[in-house]
Amino acid sequence: MFDLAREIKQSLSNNKLRTTLTGLSVAWGIFMLIILLSMSQGVTNPFKQNVMSQGSNYINIFPGRTSKAYNGLKEGRYIDLKDRDLATVESQNGNYAQQVSSTMSGSAITISSPKDYISTGYEGVFPDELTKRGTPLTYGRFINQLDLDQKRKIVVLTEQNASILFGTPEESIGKTVKLKDLSFTVVGVINPKFGQETYIPFTTAKALNGYNLSVDVLAVELKNVKTEEDGTKAENDIKGTLSRIHKFAPDDDGAVRIWNRFKQQLQMGAGMWILELAMWIIGLFTMLSGIIGVSNIMFVSVKERTHEIGIRRAIGAKPRNILTQILTESVAITGFFGYIGVFSGILIMEVINNLIEGTDFISNARIDISIAIKVTVVLIIAGCMAGLFPALKALKVKPVEALRDE
Amino acid sequence: MSQNAIITLTDVNKTYPGIVPLHVLKGINLEISRGELVSIMGASGSGKSTLLNILGILDNYDSGDYVLNGTLIKNLSENRAAELRNRLIGFVFQSFNLISYKNAIENVALPLFYQGVSRKKRNMLAMEQLDRMGLADRAHHLPGELSGGQKQRVAIARSLITKPSIILADEPTGALDSQTSKEVMQVFRDLNSDAGMTIIIVTHDPGVGAKTNRIIRISDGLILPDENV
Repeated sequence: MFDLAREIKQSLSNNKLRTTLTGLSVAWGIFMLIILLSMSQGVTNPFKQNVMSQGSNYINIFPGRTSKAYNGLKEGRYIDLKDRDLATVESQNGNYAQQVSSTMSGSAITISSPKDYISTGYEGVFPDELTKRGTPLTYGRFINQLDLDQKRKIVVLTEQNASILFGTPEESIGKTVKLKDLSFTVVGVINPKFGQETYIPFTTAKALNGYNLSVDVLAVELKNVKTEEDGTKAENDIKGTLSRIHKFAPDDDGAVRIWNRFKQQLQMGAGMWILELAMWIIGLFTMLSGIIGVSNIMFVSVKERTHEIGIRRAIGAKPRNILTQILTESVAITGFFGYIGVFSGILIMEVINNLIEGTDFISNARIDISIAIKVTVVLIIAGCMAGLFPALKALKVKPVEALRDE
Repeated sequence: MSQNAIITLTDVNKTYPGIVPLHVLKGINLEISRGELVSIMGASGSGKSTLLNILGILDNYDSGDYVLNGTLIKNLSENRAAELRNRLIGFVFQSFNLISYKNAIENVALPLFYQGVSRKKRNMLAMEQLDRMGLADRAHHLPGELSGGQKQRVAIARSLITKPSIILADEPTGALDSQTSKEVMQVFRDLNSDAGMTIIIVTHDPGVGAKTNRIIRISDGLILPDENV
């Protein structure tokens, strides 16, 4: 074993420049593959963490204006979604609608504590609002079904607002604030990525809003949907129900604005999958060019060593000895320089990760170590192939003729 | 066939294929005894190189029999041929054919590498052979650092290391000046007289032939009747 290794080392060192240039093309190929795969992971991770962690089995329907006349009614009519629409959709679209929730908001109010006050708005929500938005709860609890049933006067503040009103977020739990001249109790504190919403139970907001029972949105939690087609069907069914209730044309795109998060999720998933696939393909082709480089050089190198191979065979090298020598040289080059490529790739990505720490658009640009290993194994097999064909070709030449070669 | 024969060729023929096939050896009959120092002489195109290649198991032949040291050399696989070349034959070439990036001791030891002998052992044996050739002080020199005569002696050392049955030399003095040629021929003569090595030298130089004990002449693919030297 060591003997063979020494032989290989000697013959590769004989032409250091050629060995190095060959090796570099392999190292470069795999280096690029690692960079591309890591970057694609880095770009898709924020999506996976933020967007796709939020509840995705939803269609959100917002009020809009009709864009065409219908049934004697002019276009440009404002479609007002109402609280009673929730129950209607739940019953009439029961095959797709698991549950319909909503938000009802109020604006331009003051919330005050003994210490301070804030000018803000409130949003009346259902208990699933946090999961839908993927917002973390940092202290206390969120709004629950009992709060809704009893129309409790409770409030959930953001960390920033809680700090303004009470000094620290923890301090605010259990304390009272004045909202529209009514006393509300703070039950929880959240830390959203965007926005500074103050949440109260939906039913409490209804009571506050009095006669105006318009809702901001119909958030339909879907069931029985798997494909984009299902998503489209569900969307159209629900839109159809609303078009009958509110009297607008079923194909009127402006009457209600629909954000089909279910379909969007599928499409983004498909998009990300395509991105990853594209990166793999580009990376593999780059690696392939490295392999072709090795193959090329092995052919040239073996051809140049025809005379030397002839000498070896004349003094007793069997075909398998020659084959072993050349294959091992090839594998040694691809293995060694392949490792350098993997190592450099991972190293550079660590540096890049440190630099991009904290940006929103790219995070954790790393690949699984198992992928790096799989790729290196593929590389070594390819190195074998690259050496095999030149070696077989060399062996076809008779020793006599090989010796004549100069 | 005499008891002491180390090489026997019986009616050996070889034709090179091609558009016009070339019948190079037309029925060679030849016997060489153990411990002989012979030369094979002939003009260009006489078939002497072909005969050398067949004797050295570097090429095959079409009909007849070639027996070397009791082994029939016929229809051999490349594996078997390599093995026999390694064990039975020591080659010396006109252009030395040393590996340029290996030093003298590594070149001499190389046949033993293909026998699977350990590095330590084969380097020791190689040193012995180099010493025998008077080149112990040049053991770690590369071929590029050796004179023609020294290179040929390294090649001879390499040819001896597997203790072969025969030494086959193809124009061994062809690349050397007359003084060095004399020295190298003396090496062969000493190997033959002191160690009893069977040595076959292919040459066109009558001076070389004169230093051997028997000249085998080949002309037009056939061995001419023997002469005494």
